[in-house]
Amino acid sequence: MDVTLNIRRFDPGVPQPESYWQSFDVSIEDNGTVLDALIKIREDTDGTLSLRCSCRSSICGSCAVRINGHAGLACKLQASAVMGDDNVITVEPAGVMPVVKDLVVDFEPFWEKIRAVKPYLQPQGLEPESEYIASNESMLHLSSVTACIMCGACVSDCTVLEVDPTFLGPAALAKAYRFTADPRDGDTDGVSKERLQDLTQATGMWDCTRCTECVTACPKGVAPMDRIMALRDQAIAAGLTNSNGARHAEVFGELVGHSGRLDELKLPVKTVGMFNIPAMLGFLPVGIRALIHGKMPSPIHKNIEGVEGFRRLYKKAEEAGEE
Amino acid sequence: MKYAYFPGCVSRGGCPELNQATKLICQRLDIELQEMPRASCTGAGVLQEKNQFLGDTLNARTFALAEGLGLPILTICSTCQGVMGQANRRMKNDPEYLAKINVSLAEEGLEYKGTAQPKHLLWILIEDYGLDKLLEQVTRPLNGARLAPFYGCYLVRPPDALDFEENPSRQDSLERLIEALGATLVDFAGKSRCCGFPILTINEKNSVAMVAKHTSEVKDLGADAMVTPCPLCHLNLDGYQPKAAKQARRPIDMPIIHLPQLVGMAMGISARDLGLQRHIINTKPLITKLGVAAG
Amino acid sequence: MLEHDVLVIGAGLAGMRAAIAAQTGGANTAIISKVHPVRSHSNAAQGGINAALTDRGDEWEEHAYDTVKGSDYLADQDAIEVMCKSAGQALIDMEHMGVTFNRDDEGRLGTRAFGGQRRARTFFVGDFTGQALLHVMFEQLVKSGIRSYEEWFVTSLIEEDGQVCGVMALEIRTGKMHAIRAKALIFCTGGLGRAFEPSTNALIVTGDGISLAYNAGARLMDMEMVQYHPTTLAGSGVLISEAARGEGAYLLDKNGERFMEAYAPNMMELASRDVVSRSEQTEINNGNGENGCMFLDCRHLGEALIMEKLSQIREIGIDLAGVDMIKEPIPIRPGMHYMMGGIKTDVDGLTNVPGIYAAGECACVSVHGGNRLGANSLLDTIVFGQRAGDHAAAATRSKEFVNFDGSAAVKKEEGRIQQILDRPQNDDRVANIRLGMGQTLNNNLAVYRNQTGMEDTLRSLGGLRERYAHVPVDNKGAVFNTDLIFSLELGFMLDCAETITVSALDRKDSRGAQARTDYPDRDDENWMKHIVTNKGEEGPEISYLPVSITQWTPEVRSY
Repeated sequence: MDVTLNIRRFDPGVPQPESYWQSFDVSIEDNGTVLDALIKIREDTDGTLSLRCSCRSSICGSCAVRINGHAGLACKLQASAVMGDDNVITVEPAGVMPVVKDLVVDFEPFWEKIRAVKPYLQPQGLEPESEYIASNESMLHLSSVTACIMCGACVSDCTVLEVDPTFLGPAALAKAYRFTADPRDGDTDGVSKERLQDLTQATGMWDCTRCTECVTACPKGVAPMDRIMALRDQAIAAGLTNSNGARHAEVFGELVGHSGRLDELKLPVKTVGMFNIPAMLGFLPVGIRALIHGKMPSPIHKNIEGVEGFRRLYKKAEEAGEE
Repeated sequence: MKYAYFPGCVSRGGCPELNQATKLICQRLDIELQEMPRASCTGAGVLQEKNQFLGDTLNARTFALAEGLGLPILTICSTCQGVMGQANRRMKNDPEYLAKINVSLAEEGLEYKGTAQPKHLLWILIEDYGLDKLLEQVTRPLNGARLAPFYGCYLVRPPDALDFEENPSRQDSLERLIEALGATLVDFAGKSRCCGFPILTINEKNSVAMVAKHTSEVKDLGADAMVTPCPLCHLNLDGYQPKAAKQARRPIDMPIIHLPQLVGMAMGISARDLGLQRHIINTKPLITKLGVAAG
Repeated sequence: MLEHDVLVIGAGLAGMRAAIAAQTGGANTAIISKVHPVRSHSNAAQGGINAALTDRGDEWEEHAYDTVKGSDYLADQDAIEVMCKSAGQALIDMEHMGVTFNRDDEGRLGTRAFGGQRRARTFFVGDFTGQALLHVMFEQLVKSGIRSYEEWFVTSLIEEDGQVCGVMALEIRTGKMHAIRAKALIFCTGGLGRAFEPSTNALIVTGDGISLAYNAGARLMDMEMVQYHPTTLAGSGVLISEAARGEGAYLLDKNGERFMEAYAPNMMELASRDVVSRSEQTEINNGNGENGCMFLDCRHLGEALIMEKLSQIREIGIDLAGVDMIKEPIPIRPGMHYMMGGIKTDVDGLTNVPGIYAAGECACVSVHGGNRLGANSLLDTIVFGQRAGDHAAAATRSKEFVNFDGSAAVKKEEGRIQQILDRPQNDDRVANIRLGMGQTLNNNLAVYRNQTGMEDTLRSLGGLRERYAHVPVDNKGAVFNTDLIFSLELGFMLDCAETITVSALDRKDSRGAQARTDYPDRDDENWMKHIVTNKGEEGPEISYLPVSITQWTPEVRSY
């Protein structure tokens, strides 16, 4: 099978280095992966092409790159599945992290955030002599998170990290969840309150926009965003509700539960808190602009028709869901 | 063609022009919209975060109402579409889950049978109405306009809740519509990224930085406007753009056009009727460039 | 100059375990690896880790016996005793560190059956046990605060007055050469799989430590014992875990028949790996395969079990061969997988060279002898990694650093590297030489071997070595010059290939992984001994060491 790889390259060794595109035609087996094609180029055509790769079977996490604009493991994607009608595949280094050379990016910021979540089990009780007793279900659940191979695909495509490099990001937060959800970590009930406390700080769990990029990018089904949502749940359950994020979630439910619709006027006010004067003033210019343009939501918020029945149903489903 | 109309909260609140434009173009296209005054918020993913069962139940309720009307659902919000699609997928994949949800629905004497098909106006125009037929209604092609698409996360991810496998053409539907209406497509990587709206009240700086990033990127690519099928994206990209420009210390002035406004302009509807004067970012230069009647 | 009491080379399971042990033992410890620790090849161990837990009614002696028999009586029984006795505690330690082992109905650690063992004593995390263990060990490394030189490539050892006293290492990110002084080096560099083509091994598995130690005078042992795994995927040759058969999968020929009955009527698919691989190869040679492959059939295990316990190999089958094992049998064949031989050590990781230790796959204690049992390799890394770290910490306490001129050493090594970079272009490429080596080894040192074929390989290797001396590299740059690294790795692999071939030629019997068509029987009278190679003037020199036998007398082996 013939395929053309359009590779975004970067050589820091030249004066005033700039990234550039280079195209390679390469012939691989019909079921060959993008990595097979990259290796073929490196081995047969151009040894100056740098990339990380090792296991060829989606377990070492070395070869995450952007393929046709989205992060993925080069060794997991068959070339035939990602190439367009013209047999072209674009390959770029992973996003967010600085490029070192060609497809190699600097992972240090990634590891720094992993280290920041204290990535090791911290049981508060005494270790048992033999193994901890735990349900298979709980371990299978954790294993679906520890299946993370730290490839950085989620980080590459995270929309928050793109604008804010201080955000802990999907990989580190999923790693943190791996401990907060571990019955062996934290107090004797398995609650890791200190961890959760740390993670509710700025740059933590509440900064995720729920854009789902990380879920789509993850080659191992870890679904980091879902773990971040679970962290938020755990934080609220542990009583850590004094944050805009926690209030936002709470208030949203309150408002919808009351009228059946979102009251856009009350949501921001209640989220930052009525007495948070600076934040309230911050909303003003936007509100005034909206008012001038006839965009301001009506101050008289209408309920949906038959709201009484809806409220009963809401309450019932809320209780059923919490069980 | 008749649909159960689900405009979503924002098009009744912060973006009334979206509701207005939708009704207008649907009327002209002979797409009948049946109101659902009892329908509630989808939960927008926020409710689901806290209590997925509750969120899914609210959507099952809306689906049951639509089933009662015997109509497919038309949405005009990427977020509503995505959240409904995800809920529907969970219920369809798990009959036991659906049965449990129906116990709650019984509180209002409702039952969801699992047949609802919520569909965004964007997909409906292409898949149900047909681009060819739509083009017959175009009286003023948008020739000369340079337009950038902006989908809204929920209309692109996760792919299985959006039936991309069955309908692969949904993935570039907005680009195709823009080009079909005669405009020049300004493609950019940010089109499927996040607008920042969900964290607006939580981390405004980041939220606004996202607005700045996307709008200035297409500005630099020479776009006249950005088109979005999501009112939440619109709220942020339009409403917070002045703040974004300030934060990014550069002028941006990128009009953010709702999907039905785009179609309406091509159909010769006046700017005023489409509510284009209600935007925070001035749409006049665009209107003038296209020669759209002011109203 | 950078300086550490104990420098561990390689950051897989053995390396990190050794480093943590050495640090705990009070030594100023560092670890150096050409990749980030979690990229190490321990990741690829899928099926599990063996341990005989007495509270499950198992006995270490049972485990040891299975291991001895699996080794075809070539392993050293005293070493096996050490490993099997330590297994239970090593396993529980890993659980306490946080490994998410699958559980049984009572919430205790669950087991699965594995090849060559009479009872289920393999503890596991789905089908990615190695990854699970490796990442937890990395967590412990982070916790320890041990200095970790990540993406640093050891190019050579520093010797002063005939004493090994440090390493030269290339910082891959910058291209800068460093001298690191150390009182003790612990090699945990893994196997040499890329010397073969194909191999289940990752691209980084290039025999670096085996070659470096060999060139410093360390003895290598059992180098002829190269494991061919029975189930490697058609095409790419990546591993499909023995866990599949442990959970009950069948091996089928092209007619859908379970052919193992003729070879191992009792254990069937769960005979030891050498036996199963030979059976498959015999069937393939007899024309009972399809496109050079047999089939692994998991369909009867059901979707639920596969999704819970074998989900990752299912994914690999779909990604790389387009076959979903829930629905179809997977085409598999025997493929190069593991090196039983390596740097000869005692049970504390000590080699014959003062200051050099080794543990894990690069070492040969020897606990695997002629054939390693599945799920004993993870155990080997943890037990002997820890022991080497313990010993090195204690031994360096009273030892002084050897003085040498660091900047002179750097200069000299830079000069050597520059010579490689300065080679003029010719028609040859590093990849072509490696491929030639890999193919000749896979043709003649695979499941079945004979004198003529192996002599042919030895000749080929000579030719490849000559080409290697002149092969150019494309990349002359400093930053992340992987081209240069491949060239250096190829040199390491050529050393390994030569010692493998010479040892295999020397052994005139069939035992464990070595099956010679010209010497088809096991010959205990003449060949119940280890073959040892060390570097001589003219290449590898051969000597022998006796096999330690404590309580299990060699018997005829059948499964």
